Amino acid sequence: MAAIFLSAATAFAGGAVYLLQADGLSCPFCAYGIEKQLGRISGVESVTADIANGSVRVVMKEGTNLDRQAANKAVEAAGFTLRGFGRTGSEQ
Amino acid sequence: MNVLKALIIASAYGVLLGSHAHAAPQTFNTALPVAEGEYIFREQGFYKSATDDPSPANREAKVVGSISVLGLGITGKLAVFGVLPVLHKELDMTTPAGKSASRNASGIGDARLFGRYTVYRGDAPGRTFRVAPFVGLELPTGDSNDKGSLGTLPATLQLGSGSWDPFFGVVATYQTLDYEIDVQASYKVNTEANGFEFGDEARFDASLQYRLWPRELTGNVPGFLYGVLEGNLLYQSRNEIGGTTVASSGGTSLFIAPGLQYVTKRWIAEAIVQLPAFQDLNGSALKDTFTVRAGFRVNF
Repeated sequence: MAAIFLSAATAFAGGAVYLLQADGLSCPFCAYGIEKQLGRISGVESVTADIANGSVRVVMKEGTNLDRQAANKAVEAAGFTLRGFGRTGSEQ
Repeated sequence: MNVLKALIIASAYGVLLGSHAHAAPQTFNTALPVAEGEYIFREQGFYKSATDDPSPANREAKVVGSISVLGLGITGKLAVFGVLPVLHKELDMTTPAGKSASRNASGIGDARLFGRYTVYRGDAPGRTFRVAPFVGLELPTGDSNDKGSLGTLPATLQLGSGSWDPFFGVVATYQTLDYEIDVQASYKVNTEANGFEFGDEARFDASLQYRLWPRELTGNVPGFLYGVLEGNLLYQSRNEIGGTTVASSGGTSLFIAPGLQYVTKRWIAEAIVQLPAFQDLNGSALKDTFTVRAGFRVNF
């Protein structure tokens, strides 16, 4: 039982991870703009686009969360459409 | 004296108007976005040859140049661009006395500033369709009164027109993960300077880019190798000197251009060859032989 609690505590020790779905993302050169815009949001640790799935993985710094409105604004500023937004867990 | 008309049409007009710095066509514009606050720099070198002279003067013309473009995303929909060409124009010919003569000019050409605004955006997973009008102005930054050993160069050999020339158009782009189609219609109003007025220019362009590699997409953002096929239909009305129409000027040309483009997240390398498929030029104007373009783009 102690091991289970220890494992859970470790799992949530890192920053929150979000998975965004960006419609319109269909070429490598465009991916830079969306990563740059999301990377400007306060608290963002790293941003990684996956062009095949049209998804963007955003890792937050520990103790911070990604606001959907801020994410939507960033994706719009990059010239794309935010379709999906969700927290998938924490960076381990 | 309008021997470089074809070069003016397809080099100055084609390259400069089509110098939008983004993935997509190499000889004209695209409607794909430039992110807010993002800069894109593009450099394209080109060599253009026109040797098909219908007159006994055996004229041969060439233009070697580079086009520098800096783009900035103001918002996700609005982007502005500055374009600066550096050109070397050269004309070789045989005089009526049978002697060879050569005239040339080198330096900065006419710069362009233009803005493009996305009026329609239809996004879906892995694909997008956009329509974006653009409007701009060609500035008289190039020397339009250059002189050689034989006197003042003809207007068509000058590096600049000397005039302030507005242009406008609309471009539409449909892009998926597998291919991209761009089409553009545009018009440039050439105004008078130094007693000379180039004919107005209209063009219609189309481009197909097909992803050749990788065949299967995996995670993150791999580089894409595109096979490219572009077409440029150009029309220019006749020039005027002192209000009088120049008979040997203006006409219609169609170019077909196969090429390659390698696109990554931060840079693009590309090359294309423009070949004339149809040229119906007025009078004894020189016809194009080919144009080779190669360059790169980076974003930051």
